[in-house]
Amino acid sequence: MSNQRQASSASQVPHLSPAELSYLYTSLSLPKTPIRPDGRSPTQFRPLTAETNILPGTNGSARIGFADGTQAIVGVKAEVEKTILSNETLASERGAGPEPTDQEGSTTAAVGGHGSWVQMSIEIPGFRDDDALPVFLSEMMRESLVGAVGTDENSDMTGGLKGRLVINKRWHWRLYIDVLLLSQPLAYPLPLLSLTTHLALLSTKLPKLKSQGEEDPFFDDDWAVAEYLYPRSSPSTGAKISSSSSRPSFVRPPVTLLVISVGENIIFDPNREEIAVADAVLAISITRDTQAGHLRLLSIRTVDPPSRLTQPGVPNSENVNMLGAVAPTDDIAVLNPVTGEEEVPGVWRPRRGGAKRSVISEMVKTVLKKGGVGEEVLEGLEGVEVS
Amino acid sequence: MMADRRRVNGPPSGTRPAVFTADLQLGASATDRAQRQRQPSELRKIFLKTGLIPTASGSSYLEFEPSASLAAARANPKSLIPPSSALKLACTVHGPKPLPRSAAFSPNIVLTTHVKYAPFAARQRKGHIRDSGERDLGVHLETALRGAIIAERWPKSGLDITVTILEAEDDRWWGSAPDSHDASWGMMNVLAGCITAASAAIADAHIDCLDLIAGGVAALVADESGNSAAGTTKLMLDTDPAEHRSILSACVVGYMPARDEITELWLKGDSSKASLEEGDDRSGHDALIDGAVDAARGAHTVLAEAVRESLLRIVGQS
Amino acid sequence: MGITILPPVSDDIIPRHEDDSDDSMSVDSDEDVEMSGLRAPKRARIGNQTLSTGVVTPGEVVTDDPQWMRGHGTYMTPLSTSIIATVAVQSKRWKVDVAAPLLAQLPLSAINLPGGILRRRTSSDELQIRTFFSEGDLVVAEVQSVHQDGAASLHTRSLKYGKLRNGVFLAVTGTGGSGASSNSTKGGVGSNSLRPGAGSGMGGVVRSRRQVWTINTHNGGGEVDVILGVNGYIWISKHADGTAAASSATENVSITRMEEMVSTSIYSSQNDEIIPQTRREIARLAQCIQVLVQSGIRVDEETVMSAYEASLQVDLEVGDEDDEDEDSRHEGREYLEGAKSRRILELVV
Repeated sequence: MSNQRQASSASQVPHLSPAELSYLYTSLSLPKTPIRPDGRSPTQFRPLTAETNILPGTNGSARIGFADGTQAIVGVKAEVEKTILSNETLASERGAGPEPTDQEGSTTAAVGGHGSWVQMSIEIPGFRDDDALPVFLSEMMRESLVGAVGTDENSDMTGGLKGRLVINKRWHWRLYIDVLLLSQPLAYPLPLLSLTTHLALLSTKLPKLKSQGEEDPFFDDDWAVAEYLYPRSSPSTGAKISSSSSRPSFVRPPVTLLVISVGENIIFDPNREEIAVADAVLAISITRDTQAGHLRLLSIRTVDPPSRLTQPGVPNSENVNMLGAVAPTDDIAVLNPVTGEEEVPGVWRPRRGGAKRSVISEMVKTVLKKGGVGEEVLEGLEGVEVS
Repeated sequence: MMADRRRVNGPPSGTRPAVFTADLQLGASATDRAQRQRQPSELRKIFLKTGLIPTASGSSYLEFEPSASLAAARANPKSLIPPSSALKLACTVHGPKPLPRSAAFSPNIVLTTHVKYAPFAARQRKGHIRDSGERDLGVHLETALRGAIIAERWPKSGLDITVTILEAEDDRWWGSAPDSHDASWGMMNVLAGCITAASAAIADAHIDCLDLIAGGVAALVADESGNSAAGTTKLMLDTDPAEHRSILSACVVGYMPARDEITELWLKGDSSKASLEEGDDRSGHDALIDGAVDAARGAHTVLAEAVRESLLRIVGQS
Repeated sequence: MGITILPPVSDDIIPRHEDDSDDSMSVDSDEDVEMSGLRAPKRARIGNQTLSTGVVTPGEVVTDDPQWMRGHGTYMTPLSTSIIATVAVQSKRWKVDVAAPLLAQLPLSAINLPGGILRRRTSSDELQIRTFFSEGDLVVAEVQSVHQDGAASLHTRSLKYGKLRNGVFLAVTGTGGSGASSNSTKGGVGSNSLRPGAGSGMGGVVRSRRQVWTINTHNGGGEVDVILGVNGYIWISKHADGTAAASSATENVSITRMEEMVSTSIYSSQNDEIIPQTRREIARLAQCIQVLVQSGIRVDEETVMSAYEASLQVDLEVGDEDDEDEDSRHEGREYLEGAKSRRILELVV
C-alpha cells in the first residue's frame, strides 16, 4: 500500500515489466496509427453501462459500470441551510429597504451562491479518504462543477449550479455528492467517476418550492412535481431525450475527460496499461455552452504520469549478464524527437520532464473542436435515459 | 422566527469588522479596493534566498513584493485591515535519505510533498490539520517537481519537501462578499510560489534536476479601465486577486525554460471570452498558458540568481 | 464511434422457490442425516463415483464412511509452466506472485547463471541479484516443488524459461489461483487484493497438452508465440527465433557455447524490433482471449485458435458491410466488443 501512497495523484505505481512498458510505448507511439492493447481507436471509449435513479433515498443517483467490472455509484443529497450573510449583502439590504426584489443587476452577485455549498466526497477502496488520490479527484471535479456558470440569461441556471442552489437571500440548498467506487481502481478512475457524477446530477430533483420571496422556505411534499436540479428545456420532453441530434438548450453538468499523449499521439480513455506509459496526462473539464452551442473549457489539470515511477529497462549492451553476447554497437541510442531524450530502441526509460506547450494545446483542441471527442461524449451521455 | 429570543445568541460564524461611515466618507485608501499599479505584463518583485534553515539539507524562503496599496497602508495605516497581503513562504527539503526498511523497493527517489498554511497565514485562521485545499496543493507541487527531478539517480531513497506558508495570498479583496467570486484564485499564486521556492530548496540540497523549475500565474480579468466596452477581458500576469473585482479564469504553470516544457498545469475558469489583441488568433486558454509561462520565465531569472548565490556561499565556506 | 453507453443488462434471474415442501415434510426429525434435504439420495451414492455430479455446500455431511480421508486444502499449484511476476527481491531468492494464495519463491540456486551451466554460484551473484530479475519483471518458470503450506518453489533451469519480452501480458481466471480478474491485473505489491472475483470460477486457462505454441498469424503478422500459464497468466509475444539462430550458427560453436549464447538473452529487458503488423495481431489475439474469458469459455490452444480465426472472419464480414465508408472502417476496427465479440463466440462455440 505504501507504493500507492507515493504515487499521489497517479492512482498507483504500475506493475509492468520494463519489456512490457517498452512494447506498449512503441505500439502506442506509432505515428498516426497507434495500436492500443485492446484495439480501440485513439478517441474510442470503452463501452459502459449506465443507469440513473437507482437509490430511492437520494435526490438523484446514477451507476456506471465498465466491461472490466469496475463500477461507480453516485448519490446526490440536498439539504436546506441558512445562508450566512456578508457585510455587503447586509449593507445593500439596509439600503434597499424592505423590497428585496429591486436592483436585479446589483444583487445577482450577492445571491450568486457559494462554491462551498457543493460538497463532494470520493470513496475508493484501498485508499483513506484523506489520501492524495481521492482529495485530488474530488477537488478537480468540484472545481469544474461550481465553476460552470451558465450564460443563458433567461434560464434558472444563471450563475450556474451555485446560483441554482440559492432559494432566497437567507436560505440555500447544500448539495452533497457522494461518489463510491465499488472496487479498487484498475485504471485511473477519473473518467468513470466524472461520467457517473454527471448522470447523477442530471437525475437530481429538488422538491418544488411553495413559499415565496424571502419567507422561510417550505416545499411541496409531492415528489412527482419536484423540479430537476438541472432544468429541462420543456416539461413534455423533460424525462427522456430520445434523439441526440436535437441540441438541448439547457445547462448540463460538466464532464472531465482524461487524455494522455504518447509520442505524437493523443489517446482518450486510457486503461491502466496505457496510462502507465503516457508522456503527459491531462484532466480536461468541459461543458456545453448553452448560447453558442459549442463546448466550453472549464479547467485543465495535469496528472502526474505514473510512467515517471516505473522501473527502467537495461540495454543489452549494459547488461552484465550478457557480456560478450552482444556487441556494444548493437544498440545505438537515438534521439526521441518528442521527449528530447536519448533512448535505445526497445529499452524502457521512465519518463522525465513535462509536456511541450504544443502538445497540451493539441490535446485541448482535440477535446474542444467541433465534432471532436468532447461533443461525442456529451452526446453519448444525452442518450442515456434519465428517469 | 427560528431564532431563540430568550438569550442573546452570538453570530453563527465569525463576523467581519464593522465598516463605519466615517471611513467611507474619507473617500480614500482604507476601505477602497486595492488597485493594480503594475503594467499587465509586469511582475511583482520576488525575494528568494536559500539555505536559511541549517538543519535541513536544503531550504529556501520566498517573499512577494507587497502591492503598492499595501505598502502605502503599512507606511500610513488608516485602517486595521491591510488592503491586500503578500505571499511569504518557507520551504525545507530533507533527504535524500534511506527509505524505512518496511518500505517496498523503489527504483526511483520517493518524493513526498507537504504544503501547510500557518494558522495565521490567511485572514481566516487555518486549523493545524491539513484541509483538502492544502492536500490538493501538495499534489500539484509534487506533480510539478517530479517532472524536474532525475529520480533514478537515487533508488531506494526518499525526499521530503515541506512548504510552510507564512502569509497567503487573498482569494479576493477582503471587503468583497465571500460569494462575489469565491474560486480560490489566491491558491494559484501560492502554488506558483511553492514551485519556485521548492525548486530553489531542491537545488540547495544538491538534488539533480533537469532544469530549475519556476512557477508563474496569468489570469483573465474583467477590464475595469472603463474606456472599453463592458464585458471585455484583459490578460494580466502575476495577478493579485485582491486588486481585481472579477477574475474570469486563471492559470498556473510549473515550467522548465531550458526544455520549454510544462510539468504542472492548472487552469480554471472561463477562458473563452478572452479579447486578445488584433491579429492574435490564439484561443483563450492558449493565451493564458503562454502568459503563465512568461510569468514563470520571469520568476526563473530570480531563481537562477538565488541558486547561484547559494553555490557561491558554499564555495566561500570551503 | 467515440463512446458507447448501454443500458444495464440484467440476466433474467427468476427467483425460484422450489416447492420442496414434500421433502421437508417427509423428513423425520430422528433422521438428522436426512436434514440436509435434497442431496441425501446423491450422497448415498458416493461409493458409485457419482460424487462429481453432486454439489455440496459447506456444512453438509459428505460421507460418514471412515475409509475416506480428509483432504489438505483443495488447491495445489500444479507442477508445470506458469507465468509469474517478481514481487520482492531478497538476499538469495525472489518472492514471486503466481496468482496463488501464497507467494512462490525462486531461489537464486534454481536459475541458470550466465556463463554456462557448470558455473558456481558466488557471493557476487547474490549482490547483483537484481541484474537477473528485478521488481516488476515478468518471468516464466516451472514449479519445482510445493511445500507443505502450499507455497511453491520454482526454477528456470531451462532455455525456455526466463524473462519475458516482446509482447503483452494478460491475466485471466486461473484454474486454481486466487482468481485473477479478466482485466490484466497483474500481481505485485498492493495488487494481491486487487482482483475482484469477476471470473466467477468459470472459464480460465485449462491445463492441456500444449501450453506454449506458435501461431502463424495473418495480415503479415508473422509468427507469434502464446504461453498459457496454468495460473491464468498469459503471455503473447513475437516468436523468439533465438534458438533457431543460435542453432544455425552451431557449425563453429561448441554446444556449451551455444547454450551460453541463448541463455544470456533470458535476462534481457530489451525488446527486439517488432513491426506494426505483428503488434496488431498480438493485440487481436489478446482480445480474442479476453472475449473467451468474459463469456466463460475455457482457454486452451483449440479455443484460442478458433477464436482467432473467427475474429478474422468477423473482420471480413464487417469490412464488406461498410465498404463505402473507408475511413470509419479503419477507426477502431480491431476493437472486439459487443456485436463483434458475440459473433466471434457464435463462430467458436
